Amino acid sequence: MLNVDHLTKRYGPVAAVGGLSFEVGPGRVTGFLGPNGAGKTTTLRMLLGLAAPTSGTATINGVRYRDLRDPVRTVGAALDNDNFHPGRTAAEHLKIMATAAGISRRRPAQVLDMVGLTEAARRRVGGFSLGMRQRLTLAAALLGDPGVLILDEPLNGLDPDGIRWMRDLLRQLAGEGRTVLVSSHLLAEAAQTVQDVVVITRGRLAAEGSVAELTAATSTTRIRTPDTELLMSVLARQQITARLLAPGTVEARGADPDRVARIAAAASVVVLELTRHTENLEELFFDLTSDHTNDRALEVSPS
Amino acid sequence: MTTIARLTHAELRKLMASRTFLIGLALSAALAVISVAVNAAVAGKNGTPALGTTASTDKMLKLGSVCCVAMLVLGIIASGSEYRHKTIIPAVLVAPRRGGLITAKVIGIAVAGVVLSTPTFGLGLATVIAELSAHHIHHLPADTGTLFAGSVIAGTMFGMIGVALGYITRSTIAAIVGAVGWVLFAELAILHTLAPHLAKWLVTGAASTLTDPGALASRALTPATAVPPQEQERRQCTIRNQERSGPFTRRWHAGSADRPPFC
Repeated sequence: MLNVDHLTKRYGPVAAVGGLSFEVGPGRVTGFLGPNGAGKTTTLRMLLGLAAPTSGTATINGVRYRDLRDPVRTVGAALDNDNFHPGRTAAEHLKIMATAAGISRRRPAQVLDMVGLTEAARRRVGGFSLGMRQRLTLAAALLGDPGVLILDEPLNGLDPDGIRWMRDLLRQLAGEGRTVLVSSHLLAEAAQTVQDVVVITRGRLAAEGSVAELTAATSTTRIRTPDTELLMSVLARQQITARLLAPGTVEARGADPDRVARIAAAASVVVLELTRHTENLEELFFDLTSDHTNDRALEVSPS
Repeated sequence: MTTIARLTHAELRKLMASRTFLIGLALSAALAVISVAVNAAVAGKNGTPALGTTASTDKMLKLGSVCCVAMLVLGIIASGSEYRHKTIIPAVLVAPRRGGLITAKVIGIAVAGVVLSTPTFGLGLATVIAELSAHHIHHLPADTGTLFAGSVIAGTMFGMIGVALGYITRSTIAAIVGAVGWVLFAELAILHTLAPHLAKWLVTGAASTLTDPGALASRALTPATAVPPQEQERRQCTIRNQERSGPFTRRWHAGSADRPPFC
């Protein structure tokens, strides 16, 4: 269980993170989303004890990272995919970490096998591709077989096969009861991987919950009708927010199609078409962070 | 195994896992052998002391500076490259309290100092013995063992200074250039020449005390020179008398003119 409570980080007059609070539970893959500069990495760094919060707390199972009795066996973290000495082999890198953490000598070979790098174990990391580095970063995070995984952009640099492999692995790890927090800017990919999301913008929480709940809450009903003004007025009388989406099309928020159909029928409004529109994660993200158009343009991947 | 022991073990693994340490060891050993060979080749020429004299042997045994510079560079690389290659992040994730990390790094570099300095001085000494034997000279100064230990200690201490410099400087390359430039140019070339009374308080002054046969005999570069002249003279007499009874001086040629008269 990860718990962030009123977490604030100020760099001089700039608040990178301001009063951020959220929880991440076990057994699910949670996406940590936000535009560039939203404070995702700063938050993860504070969770991992790499940066000191100005105020508030960030704990793992109720304990600050630096106070964990056995951090590597509690939390597996992958913040960057170039934290390697280029002159060392993949196996050496993991053996050094295992030695420092007091982990079995056999474990590095096991995690290299898990991430599909057995063949490259004796190759120097300097010659690794981005995808191979990403796998090695994940291997390092899994070294202590931790109950909590914190991964910063784990899908970066992976080919389609790699993305599918990572998606399956993360779901498998979460299925084993682990807490998995994944930051990503690849929204289309994240949508297929994560079950819960924490969306932040400008260092503050924008939304938190399961993807299904959040998309359902933002779903709308679209009505194609020649009587747009009449329909909008009757919907307004029923406390339903409606707007003219296009000539001849009204969009109603906060009411399912059944209810809208009954209201329209009662008011003798001609309805030509009635559809439920559910936002996907990408649209939800844009909605939640809509005041950051420029940031968003940088954040969203071409995919 | 305690946390410090595990972290120290990991530090030693790091040193052995990259080629830098092995290259440094090979270079310093080669430099030591070359230094002895060059000194032996020029001995007795252009006013330099003749081979077999104490002055000549002392000059050949000034190998501490090689150990010191090699360890200074290795110390800077050991700590500086943690930031350069960002390996400090996984290191801190393993040991969130950085005091343990720094302690392990210092212990690790101290062990590396012993591992590097011992064969460096040892090979240099072996070359000195070989050179002297080739000229049918079979004696060494009495303080050779002390010099050996001094060179190892000085190399180790310079390694620790290097670790500190690597941690506090942003650029590893700049730290190496600056530190080696300071030691070899600013301290040795300028301060020791222009202001020897100040130089003895600097790092190379301290290292000279341990690695320079002349300084070792006279303690000329140590802060201890602040003691009264009579006490200094008494100490030098004691050292010389110890040399006379030492195992290496038993076969000293009776007519050696360069050795000062015993007290």
